[in-house]
Amino acid sequence: MNKFVGKITVAEALIWVILALVLCFTVLPILFMLVASVMDAKQILAMPFRWIPSREYFTTSDRTWLTNFHKAIFGNNNNPVFLRNIANSLIVASTVAVTTVILSALCGYGLAKFNFRGKNAIFMSIMATMMIPFEAIMIPLYIVTANLHMMNSYRGLIVPFLVTAFGVFQMRQYLLTFPAEFIDAARVDGLGEFRIFLSIVFPNCLPVISTLAILSFRNQWDNLLWPLLVSQSETMKTIPLYLSKFAEEKQTDEGAMMACALIASIPMFILFGALSKYFLGGAAVFESRKG
Amino acid sequence: MKKLTIMVLTALLLVPSFVFAQGSSEKDGNVTINFWTHEDTNRQAIEDGYIAEFEAANPDVTVKATRQASKKMIELIQTAFAAGEGPTIFNLESNNANPFVQAGRVAPVKYEALGYKDAEDMKSHYIDGMLDPVTYDGDIYGIPFEGLSWCLYINKNVFKDAGLDPEKDYPKTWEEMVEVSEKLVIRSGDIIERRGFDFRYPYYLETLVPMVNQLGGSLFSADGSEAIIGEEAWVKVLTYMQNWGPNGLNLGSPTYKNARKLFNNNNNDIAMAMSGLYQEARIKSDNPDFYNSGEWMVVPFPVWEDAVADTSASFYGQFYMVNADESEKTQQKAWELIGSMLSHEQEYLSEVNLIPPTKELMNSETFKSMPYAEVFEGDMERAHHLYFGKNATEVQSLLSTAVNNVMLQNMDPEQAYQELKASVQELVDED
Amino acid sequence: MSKQPIKHYSIEKKQARWGFFFTVPCLIFFAVFSFYPIISAFVTSLSDKQIMNRTSEFIGLENYKYLFTKSNGGFSLLNSMRATITFTLGTFIPMVVVSLIIAVFLMQLRKTRYRGFFQIGFYLPAVLSSVVAAAIWMIMFDPRGIVNQTTNALLNTAGKDYGWLVNSTMLQFSTMVVYFWKYIGYFVILFITGLATIPPTLYEAATVDGSGKWSNFWRITLPLLKPTVLLVSVMAMLQCLKTFSTQYMFVQGGTSRPPIDVITMNIYFTGIKHGKLGRASAMSIILFVIMLVLTVVQFKISDSDDVDY
Repeated sequence: MNKFVGKITVAEALIWVILALVLCFTVLPILFMLVASVMDAKQILAMPFRWIPSREYFTTSDRTWLTNFHKAIFGNNNNPVFLRNIANSLIVASTVAVTTVILSALCGYGLAKFNFRGKNAIFMSIMATMMIPFEAIMIPLYIVTANLHMMNSYRGLIVPFLVTAFGVFQMRQYLLTFPAEFIDAARVDGLGEFRIFLSIVFPNCLPVISTLAILSFRNQWDNLLWPLLVSQSETMKTIPLYLSKFAEEKQTDEGAMMACALIASIPMFILFGALSKYFLGGAAVFESRKG
Repeated sequence: MKKLTIMVLTALLLVPSFVFAQGSSEKDGNVTINFWTHEDTNRQAIEDGYIAEFEAANPDVTVKATRQASKKMIELIQTAFAAGEGPTIFNLESNNANPFVQAGRVAPVKYEALGYKDAEDMKSHYIDGMLDPVTYDGDIYGIPFEGLSWCLYINKNVFKDAGLDPEKDYPKTWEEMVEVSEKLVIRSGDIIERRGFDFRYPYYLETLVPMVNQLGGSLFSADGSEAIIGEEAWVKVLTYMQNWGPNGLNLGSPTYKNARKLFNNNNNDIAMAMSGLYQEARIKSDNPDFYNSGEWMVVPFPVWEDAVADTSASFYGQFYMVNADESEKTQQKAWELIGSMLSHEQEYLSEVNLIPPTKELMNSETFKSMPYAEVFEGDMERAHHLYFGKNATEVQSLLSTAVNNVMLQNMDPEQAYQELKASVQELVDED
Repeated sequence: MSKQPIKHYSIEKKQARWGFFFTVPCLIFFAVFSFYPIISAFVTSLSDKQIMNRTSEFIGLENYKYLFTKSNGGFSLLNSMRATITFTLGTFIPMVVVSLIIAVFLMQLRKTRYRGFFQIGFYLPAVLSSVVAAAIWMIMFDPRGIVNQTTNALLNTAGKDYGWLVNSTMLQFSTMVVYFWKYIGYFVILFITGLATIPPTLYEAATVDGSGKWSNFWRITLPLLKPTVLLVSVMAMLQCLKTFSTQYMFVQGGTSRPPIDVITMNIYFTGIKHGKLGRASAMSIILFVIMLVLTVVQFKISDSDDVDY
């Protein structure tokens, strides 16, 4: 212990203190959500706030630490539609993650490793879509979706997000540095172009694929605006929608709302826990655009 | 091998999007009714029953009922109509219903399906002025399942806790409202822990405009060409709101929790809230002990001491309407469904405490026997219909800006009045 | 689709066809779900289309003229631009500066294990969805909530209501805090990646020359990191310009709208709530043009960022 302390300079200690403060800032609100999820509204807004709920609080007859979670899941009419909403979010987000990866890899490969007329025009126009804010095309997009009879369905939630320009861009940048010799060697071996893509190019993109998949998953998990317009029935709603409705309909019940927020965050925390390497590696891929 | 794994995985993950797809396929001769209504657990329970009955009696009809958050209804319905995918039946309140009627997007009522001879006959069954927002060119385009105005709910416990006698000390005027609230409020520093009363903030057409009306002011001149009439009245009301807020006497603010919802909890944090008759049913379901204790009561909407007109919170209706784009047959079935649901008007009142505003029901035993029915009836009689003109939604937003300006940004009420007048006038001039 | 090789085409030509074929699925997708909608938005912006009306008329640039001269029913575009610019500057500058500092600090830690620990801690908020983030912070910003309590404790002002969601300056500040909180970890990681590309030999050489850590930062780190800083800045800026969820949740929760009426929110309210599709589309096109210009700038920067180590 002493040996350790002895090594630390003042500057280093200062760095540790500053980092610890920032850590408090980022982590405490999450901790607050955890703690608040077992409290009732009165405790959440108590002055001063107690980070550890008092014991006598849970010994009352009408409350246990599960009360908020029960309310969050079953609402006030005992209809566990929240669970269905979680399933919806999972289905939508994972499907989009998969399609984004496949389609952007395909397109990025085409743009990075082939020369054909209009390539630059295609690349630039795909890039241009990156600058279109979603709010700007919300209504025309809604009309397209309606005309394709995709309202209030998984297709309606998924199809407009099948692939993103950002994904294509990342894939292209990554593949620009992919050694052409591998591809040529495969061609000499007589492999078809599509097979080369599947068996040589795609498997070699794993780092960028995983970060891209996580990013797309996250974006859909987070999406509020589009489901707001497209999901009409309770059973087709996604988590952000359920949460925003929860915030609106039961304004007085902060505890249940935090329980709800916590449950909604669990899948993301699990994903983050399992794949934190790729989450944190997202930046590395981003940097590779310099290639 | 790797390749194969990837392909299989992909296929597996792609499958759900097609398997779960819920395409709406319509078979010939069958009618599908998309029924959108705002969320109300109590009402949903009875309406689902009526819908099932109707489907049993009409095997060729399928009803797809969807419930939306009430705040989102208008946005969802508007976008759906913009995309040509509007629901068959939907409900909207007076100010949002009227634009649909004006734009010809909803179909006229099929009077015989509802058991009326014609428009005149139907009109005579409803309380006066109720059908105005859905009347156009002599025809009626919607039918209300609820007509209401808000009164003041009082928690007697909180009054007693502050040493007041609720029966005697409840506020009759806006001036008294401040005095009583001062006595009821508990603060820690500037922070309010218990409020006496607080407004229903975004709903200014319902409550703020009648306050102005009481003082002789109004939203528009008689011919509709000039906006925000009666400087003195408007400035007085805006000054009142400023005083109410954190920059004045600090009695309440839009950023505190919704008073009406807190009220049911009986947690000693709010003494008075504004709501309609339906609140009684909500108290009953949220907090039966409080409901049965009788420690709450309802009193009329307050009036200024120097009021020149006696009027209460504006009344409004919730109207069922039918999409004009639907086929003749679907429209017919839709009105039949609405008719069969509303034939249970007694149950709407007794089970959900919604008042389908027919004269018959207002005079019925069921209504008279509801707690404080006479208060609601009295207020309804002196109320005007909520403003439902073309720009009602925008006017509501502008009123909200004006109130936030004085209450939260501490703007001079005179200036807030000028800004409000200029922006509403701009809306009027645009047409 | 034809797999039959066509004899008289050269190998290059054949390959070119494959390249094109690979891009086709995405191209079709973008055509339907991006190009068509934006063109449609542009066409709508030249009309007086309202959500409830079946027909609309071509009115040329009237909507654009209106937006720059009138108040759009009290929620003017100019105010929205002010709100957006305030938010963008107030968020991305502190974000870039603070995350750079934190990243440099993190690189000073002796063990990568410690670094990983902090990185995960900083990144956690980014894992939450924006709706959850806004919900948590709205409760914490309540006058009785924990933020106000902490502020009172720190500034020794018991019982003061700082009006986090009330006062227009505080309200703008609050939205920035939420955004800053949510994305700080993400930007720290971007910088760490940038820092990791600087060869350690440079520092070693400088240390041999007798240069201290402080001057190393100014002489080596910052110049070499310049491209990353610029790139991250523009990216952060573009993200801030598109902000929607936080402001939307706050307004739904009862705060006043004008101080935080960012362009995206104004588009949503004007178009969806007030039904003025033509005017909302014109705003969309204006936002699109702003972002287009900024992105072109971004590309210019990333093209000229070749650094020799």
